[in-house]
Amino acid sequence: MHTCRPLLYSIAIFAISLLNPFFSQGFQVNFQGQKQQGMGCAGSAFAQDASTLFYNPGGACFSSKSEVNGATTPIFANVMYVDSATQEVFRTKNPVGTPFAAYALIKPKKYHRLAYGISITTPFGSTVQYEDAWIGRFAITRLAMKVFHIQPTVSLKVTDNIGIGAGFVWSPGEVTLEKDLPVQFNDGTFGHAMISGKAMGFGYNLGVFYNPGGVFTAGLSYRSGINMSVTEGNVAFHVPEGLSTNFPNGALTSSLPLPAVTTLGFNVKVRKNLNAVLDINYVGWKTYDTLSFDYATNTTSLLDTKSARRYKSIFAFRAGLQYVAISDDSGQKLIARIGGGFGFSPVQSGYVTPETPDANRWYGTAGVSYILSQHFSLDASVYATKIQRADTNLETGLSGTFTTIAFAPGLGINYKW
Amino acid sequence: MVSLMRQISFFALLMILIACKPKAPENAYNSGNADFSKFMTIGDGHTAGYMDDALYSIGQENSLGTLLQRQLAMVGAQEVSLPWMDNGNIGVNWNGQSRLFLGYKTDCQNVTSLSPLRISPQGEINSFSTSVYDPNRKFSNFGIPGLRMIDLVSSSFGNINLPQHNPFFARLSKDQFNFPGSGTFSTYQDNLFGNGYPSFCSIYIGIEDVLPYAKSGATANPMTPIAGFPGVGFEESLGQLCEQLYAQNVKAVIATIPNVAEWPFFNTIPYNGLKLDADKAASLNQIYNPLGFSFVVGENPFMIADPNAGMFGVRPALPGEKILLSAPLDSVKCYQMGSIFPFRNEFVLTLDELNEIQTRIDQFNAIIRQKAITYGFALVETQNLYSKLPSGFAFNGVPLSAKFVSGGVFSLDGIHLNPRGNALLANEFIKSINHSFNSNIPLINALNYNAVLFP
Repeated sequence: MHTCRPLLYSIAIFAISLLNPFFSQGFQVNFQGQKQQGMGCAGSAFAQDASTLFYNPGGACFSSKSEVNGATTPIFANVMYVDSATQEVFRTKNPVGTPFAAYALIKPKKYHRLAYGISITTPFGSTVQYEDAWIGRFAITRLAMKVFHIQPTVSLKVTDNIGIGAGFVWSPGEVTLEKDLPVQFNDGTFGHAMISGKAMGFGYNLGVFYNPGGVFTAGLSYRSGINMSVTEGNVAFHVPEGLSTNFPNGALTSSLPLPAVTTLGFNVKVRKNLNAVLDINYVGWKTYDTLSFDYATNTTSLLDTKSARRYKSIFAFRAGLQYVAISDDSGQKLIARIGGGFGFSPVQSGYVTPETPDANRWYGTAGVSYILSQHFSLDASVYATKIQRADTNLETGLSGTFTTIAFAPGLGINYKW
Repeated sequence: MVSLMRQISFFALLMILIACKPKAPENAYNSGNADFSKFMTIGDGHTAGYMDDALYSIGQENSLGTLLQRQLAMVGAQEVSLPWMDNGNIGVNWNGQSRLFLGYKTDCQNVTSLSPLRISPQGEINSFSTSVYDPNRKFSNFGIPGLRMIDLVSSSFGNINLPQHNPFFARLSKDQFNFPGSGTFSTYQDNLFGNGYPSFCSIYIGIEDVLPYAKSGATANPMTPIAGFPGVGFEESLGQLCEQLYAQNVKAVIATIPNVAEWPFFNTIPYNGLKLDADKAASLNQIYNPLGFSFVVGENPFMIADPNAGMFGVRPALPGEKILLSAPLDSVKCYQMGSIFPFRNEFVLTLDELNEIQTRIDQFNAIIRQKAITYGFALVETQNLYSKLPSGFAFNGVPLSAKFVSGGVFSLDGIHLNPRGNALLANEFIKSINHSFNSNIPLINALNYNAVLFP
């Protein structure tokens, strides 16, 4: 344990030194494992269950059992926007977001160096719906974006201490974007546009897991960027009849890049019943430079759009503790977790949009596991954050302050054999 | 027991969700060191709510004066009191015509498209013969369409016996339609003051001292001179109003005159909007080549009448010159106006004329700025808004510009602002008041106000 301290120190210093130049999260959803969620969403180097298929595929081969697990983490998020000019207050009426994660990890008895599995997760997504007639209605009224990652994975112990893993990611998704149009019917109501489409992309997830067999484990993983292309999108307009030829309904194409995520993780058993974990993420948000929509039919009123996003690649730091509170002869019974993290926002000043009112964020988490039997266990976690961002968007001129409070309680079930 | 547990957990979840909502900041609106309790708006058609080339009820409801006063009501201004027009919203203009609306029109080439049309064959002319004056009621909005700086102290302004009287003023004047021989006529300013009114006023006058000249293509309605007694010259007319306000300890906000030539009325028909095919270019060349003018396939400058242009008094329009929206478009499309028959003077502002108008506006504005300083008025630079419009800008995700119909700011007459435009301009007044009187009055959410409505 003594030997680990300098390492933790240097990591902390490294972390702090990075704070200035980088700006965390965009539309990432970091809820892929209840145990990690309890520990500040860290724990990629602490392979406790099948979620390592996502966090670090290299860790799966160290698992001693086969396992299936599933979890969901409903997100209750409320955004408040205070317009700087009118001092008017507008809020979201978001439906509850429902990210989930499901895993199956098979540990073949014959080949103890091998493990394979499959995961379905939702690492990116966003659900935002603003109240009617809000001041930014011409920028957005509703966004619903869902991305599913379906990842078959193989993990192999190359030495007794080193595991590697690779997964192929099939990423289907769907998106709906709605906004009002600044054209008015005779009764004064505004036009409306709805863009919807299915998207698809492919990527991979690689990991190296180091387990020297002592109190310390480490891991390095890389989830590739994925270009989600919307090839068969559709746009539907509701506009006054006199303008219907200006706004033809029809096809559109677009794409949305999902960033690559590189994670360096550490896990240290600091006492008999206490583990400390640290994850450092580097998220390649720079790939999200422009959001463009290419309409099949253009008119003078309906031109293809290119909106600058100019995201920056960022670091996020996540850390947590896990404490085995109750154990008996049959093993661990109750495990408690606590953690938190800090992530820089990839969104630069001048580019904050109501669909992603992002800011640098601190957050806190806590969690518990209860082991029901040799086979069954339950996990629960809770995540809370409050972020605030004042900005004037260069493209739309929206100028005000977004305040977001998000609260996400999660629940999971595991079966091992 | 189970149901109790369920209730408790439901309650707990509810508490958490409530705690989840960000708390709104408490507003801190205040009037600073100004007293808005007897607020009045002084000005022309912009203040009155003249739009779509008429004064009508919905326009009054959404006038610069009304919107400004409604916002000031948050910090003590009284309720808006207006000389309402009929709520049928037919409206009436100077010539007795009704307001414009956007409808379908079939032109001489049998092409149907959206175009401003009169909503009725005749406007609400009966409002010109019906007095709305009430001795027990003080109008807070003294916007009079057509009001010039030199009309403030004119006793002929409301004299219905004179052809040059202003019918929009006569209907609310306290004279209640004096008939010949029944006494003298009160001036605009006579009607303004009384009963401690105003405690604060907005002054937006001067557009009408230049605009009628510009709209006539610089052929009629001469601009107001700078010098001269009150009622004759701009400077002294404004000066005596300021003195009166100063004598009564009235605080005020005063606005400069925008560059009217940037408005859609002067910029919708491009100087080089003469589009020709090979045949038409050839036939025009036959006519005009002897005069030294030639035409090409595609865009060409329109031909305009200019007495100073050589012996035929005809020349192509130059870049920057304005063809006015008053030009008869069917004549252009089908009867060779602007080509074989050059645009008459009344439909054109030449560079010289534009320069003359701009010079006069600049001179008036210099006077307005100087009076603001002298009398401690808040000053609104209207160009802060208007200068952004020719190239356009994004406002909360809405593109706004000086483009006719689709620009989202001007009404269908191409001169007066629509409700949204008035809200934006009222915000310029509010910013200036906040700045000068240390008040905190929130700006208006202009997107709650209509632009042009489409069928």
